[in-house]
Amino acid sequence: MFPFDRLIRVMDEWTAAQGRTDVFAQIGNGTYEPKHMKWTRKLDQLDFAKTVQDSELIVAHAGMGSVIMADQYAKPIVLLPRIQEQGEHTTDHQIATAAWLRGKPGIHVADTDADLPPSIELAFATARDTSGKWASAANPEFLTKIRQYVLDSL
Amino acid sequence: MNQRKRVMAIASGGGHWVQLRRIMPALDGMDVFYVSLDPSLAADVPGHDYYTIRDVSRRDRFGILVVVAQLMKILFKERPKVVITTGSLPALIAMVLAKYLFGAKTIWIDSIANAEKLSASGKKAGKVADLWLTQWPHLSGPDGPQHWGAVL
Repeated sequence: MFPFDRLIRVMDEWTAAQGRTDVFAQIGNGTYEPKHMKWTRKLDQLDFAKTVQDSELIVAHAGMGSVIMADQYAKPIVLLPRIQEQGEHTTDHQIATAAWLRGKPGIHVADTDADLPPSIELAFATARDTSGKWASAANPEFLTKIRQYVLDSL
Repeated sequence: MNQRKRVMAIASGGGHWVQLRRIMPALDGMDVFYVSLDPSLAADVPGHDYYTIRDVSRRDRFGILVVVAQLMKILFKERPKVVITTGSLPALIAMVLAKYLFGAKTIWIDSIANAEKLSASGKKAGKVADLWLTQWPHLSGPDGPQHWGAVL
């Protein structure tokens, strides 16, 4: 996992400013170690799912794993895209992902570090509308075409 | 002789795996085994064989050798007829090996996270994949990947 020290640092400062004791962070290979949040380097996939399920709100990079997981458990999510120039990823594709996700039910996008706290406030204030929830699998027509191709190839 | 109609479904961890899971219903009832990067993901695919390989990046030459060795071991044992993947680099390596050494049919579905352009692995996959798909209509084209739909 790439580090994302910028997000972890901003969230650690937010946690201190809010006086919260219930914030948990997965920090990957980052060098910044939180002083105010509980944290771990990496959760395995099952613990990650359980942590999402037990959370009130998710704050994450603009990665589809986190976004889909948040959707699955109907949790609001705030996204801060990783930026290539800061060494946070190999490309800037997360900016495009965030642009596409902006405004979808339960999803909030922070473009900059400074946008993060107000985005979190907004996410807390807005109850998650699950009416736009993604189905648990891809759309049936897409699945049918893939299935047929696989069967024809066997 | 190998008469099994085995399907290999492979994806990196995180978003790639979550997307692969969303196409699992397309493989219902088939003889599928799964490959990803985290041993705990075996719990996501009960009733199927599951293998863990290590992650690797383009610049990590030693890592690529390790992944090739891990994949060769899996491929010699399982001999899949079809490989289907949602990325990324380790899955591209698996596709190349399975196609050129074992004659497997290969399906690449580029990640939905690549909304502006194909992933680097996704571009290279175009030279290998028998079926090359993007989840974004605007990234499809006559010389590029096809768009059949998306996992969301």
